[in-house]
Amino acid sequence: MEDLKAYIESGVLELYVLGDLSSDERHEVELMVGKHPELQHELLVIEKSMQRYAENYAVEPKADLRNKVLDALDYRDEVPVKSLHADNESVGSGNFYKYAFAASIALLMVSVAALISLNNQLKESHQRIASLENSNQKFSNRVNYINKQLSNTQQTLEVYKNSKDYQLVELVGLPKAPEAKMVVAFNAAKEEVMIDLASLEMPQNDDQHQYQLWALVDGKPVDLGVFDKKADSTGMIKMKPIKNAQAFAVTLEPKGGSASPTLNQMMVMGNI
Amino acid sequence: MSKNNKISLPEAEIIKAIRNRERIGAEALYDMYSSSLYGIIYRIIQDEESGQDLLQETFVKIWNSIDSYDETKGRLFTWMVNIARNLSIDKLRSKDFRNSSKNRDIENSVNLIDDQRNTSLNTETLGVKEMVDNLKPDAKAVLDLVYFKGYTHAEASEELGIPLGTVKTRIRIAIQSLRKLFN
Repeated sequence: MEDLKAYIESGVLELYVLGDLSSDERHEVELMVGKHPELQHELLVIEKSMQRYAENYAVEPKADLRNKVLDALDYRDEVPVKSLHADNESVGSGNFYKYAFAASIALLMVSVAALISLNNQLKESHQRIASLENSNQKFSNRVNYINKQLSNTQQTLEVYKNSKDYQLVELVGLPKAPEAKMVVAFNAAKEEVMIDLASLEMPQNDDQHQYQLWALVDGKPVDLGVFDKKADSTGMIKMKPIKNAQAFAVTLEPKGGSASPTLNQMMVMGNI
Repeated sequence: MSKNNKISLPEAEIIKAIRNRERIGAEALYDMYSSSLYGIIYRIIQDEESGQDLLQETFVKIWNSIDSYDETKGRLFTWMVNIARNLSIDKLRSKDFRNSSKNRDIENSVNLIDDQRNTSLNTETLGVKEMVDNLKPDAKAVLDLVYFKGYTHAEASEELGIPLGTVKTRIRIAIQSLRKLFN
């Protein structure tokens, strides 16, 4: 201990820190310090004190010296080279992004314009398709109507052309409807019964009632189906087939017809 | 560059970064120690242009000979100061420098620098600086000759006309005072 104290007080540690020893003396101090932690501590305190002393008299070098010094050193991580490139790239890429951004905006605007235009065209097309479908439907309806009229007319024509095959039975009004009359075309060979709606002179039936055609076969009424008298009723309609009949009659029945005729609602009748 | 932007690292990390040749290590090294080292270099060389050249040389040497630094034998700063001081003394004593530089009065120039450079002093240590200036003048003069002028204690003994033992004692007294001051 005494030796260490004397060693410390000799001031050799201070000279060591000040770099004022020969290499032999330095080596000796390092050996001693390595052996004795107390000396190590003493040395550290002296070093820190001298550092504080130097800081106390610090002089700031010119600001531009920093980069000069840093550029004079070589680096393994090559940051300066990288950062130089990065700087160049960032200038270039800055421009690139600027242009890319502008181009993107332009493209976006063109795209939006194109989209709006296309959308309008699409709407227009849809409207035209709808209108075409609509008129197509109208034509189709009209064709159906004309077809139906044509077939009605043809049937009517058929009946009147082949008058020898068809027996035209005139049904006349009964007390219930004295003004009423109609014509039933009957082809016994083909078992066809048809009504010429154009020649139908009957009161219009309401929604709850329909006219029902009956055939009298051996004194018994046989149902031949129902029909309506509407203002625009035209053409021939085919009723249920029957082979033999002595007379035809029409009654006004509840809608859909009845199993047997309501006699007090008998409108017209005609014998064959 | 403001002080706030300066890089600061713990000593062990700086040493590691320098050994790995990382730029961050160089930046921290410069930001943390350039002014202290330059203060010493400037006091020795007394010339701004040469001083800045020497500071650069010092950092290059620190950077390139970091492998010869042994942290078990002392602190990084002590090692760096010795590099800075040795380079500065070599320059000061070189023929071309002596031919080109004006002969200045040593004592006056130290004071001159301090007067000129007061503004650059760290404000945190301004109070300490005054106390440091009030250290025992005899002891401080010897310490400054060795630390800031690069004299060996033998040269200081000769310069001041005092025995070698007294030089050593005064250096020790001065540093003891500093220790008390800073602790």
